[in-house]
Amino acid sequence: MIDTRPIYDALKSIPDPEMPISIVDLGLIKDVRCNPSDMRPGATGGDVNVTVDVLPTFIGCPALDMIAGDIRAKLGAIPGVAAVRVNWLFDPPWSVDRITPEGRASLKEHGVTVPERGSKLPVPGHESQQTVTLSTSAIPCPFCDSKATNLESQFGPTRCRTIHYCNACKNSFEHLKRVGPRMNTNTQH
Amino acid sequence: MPVAKCTTIMTVPDHLKSPLIDLLLALADDKLFLGHRNSDWTGLGPILEEDIAFSHMAQDEIAHAQAIYEFIGGMTGKKADEIAFGRAVHEYRCASIVEVPDEFDWATAVARKFYCDHFDLLRLQRLANSSHKPLADLCARIAAEEQLHVDHVDGWIVRLGSGTMESRMRMQQAIDALAPHATWLFEPFDGLKILVDTKVYPGSDSTMYDAWVAAIKNVCLRAGLTVTLEVGSPDEKHGRHGVATPHRKPLLDEMCEVYRLEPGAAW
Repeated sequence: MIDTRPIYDALKSIPDPEMPISIVDLGLIKDVRCNPSDMRPGATGGDVNVTVDVLPTFIGCPALDMIAGDIRAKLGAIPGVAAVRVNWLFDPPWSVDRITPEGRASLKEHGVTVPERGSKLPVPGHESQQTVTLSTSAIPCPFCDSKATNLESQFGPTRCRTIHYCNACKNSFEHLKRVGPRMNTNTQH
Repeated sequence: MPVAKCTTIMTVPDHLKSPLIDLLLALADDKLFLGHRNSDWTGLGPILEEDIAFSHMAQDEIAHAQAIYEFIGGMTGKKADEIAFGRAVHEYRCASIVEVPDEFDWATAVARKFYCDHFDLLRLQRLANSSHKPLADLCARIAAEEQLHVDHVDGWIVRLGSGTMESRMRMQQAIDALAPHATWLFEPFDGLKILVDTKVYPGSDSTMYDAWVAAIKNVCLRAGLTVTLEVGSPDEKHGRHGVATPHRKPLLDEMCEVYRLEPGAAW
């Protein structure tokens, strides 16, 4: 067996194509498994096949294909790795709670906020009930920490982010959505 | 379609295979057609933010459809593209409402999405509790995304219903015009009972219809709109039995145009 350290280091060096965060810090990697690969013609005794279990953020995210390609390329270049398989899994579902503190810090620095760990989804209808213009949200600005911010759009540059505007420092910023089963559901669903 | 996301090979008892495929085709075909219809608005949305939001959700629906077609492919050995684009007109299982064109009337597009998204969420939430674990995992993930669609479209119903006289009138007209199609989302298909009994599709019964009506009426009430939903005769055959509206063939011709040029081509 080879040392798995280079595999994790390689994964950590792969950035998300759309955000300033590595795919490891984003919490996409569920598991990495190495199996001997003696079957490969010409393989030296110690070669391995690597399987990477990856949790997609959004099923339709166009970055997924790029991420899979990056994983195959980076890991495939490591000496001793014979083949790389990327396996998409839905259990557990990816959640913003999988983002590491380091990842959160990097996103914040670039103007992308993340829901607090373990925070609940808004109750359905709570916000949209008041909407004629899009409602005010209490998401703190990543630049000045003011809570005087407005939700500008529910779907930002990517489907996983909303767009907000800070009335205090006049900056736009983005917020990663929490997806997943609602903790606090209305009765109708 | 891009690279496969759902690569699980399914083992399903033989007697459940055909009903399960019918269920999954209905699910995926609804999403493929709705996603295609809604993608017509890309570049034409009422405001820039909405154009982007609507396009994202259209893309979501098509990606969800792809994942479900791949799931079916795990049982049948067929590729997602082949299932999505390679069938005859009568082999699709979508409900009539997703075939209805909106003629670029925003209220119609919103009303169509409103009825469909609420139904889709309920269907997915039930499938998220399926006795078939790989299906449950996939549908739990899709349901979480669909919830965002529901929140979004509810916001539009309320906004247009409580907006100007004109927006309210046009929203009401669209809600009324699509209501007769909407209830056929629930048309039972031939193997439904066995899927409910084996808990592959648990809770797909009258509670699901009641929950849908309650959700639709609740939002319409908040919007100051009225809605009348009537269940059609159980003897009628509609989309779940392959019966197409006149809109299906032209829609398929458009949607499958590239695929038919060279089936099996790499995208």
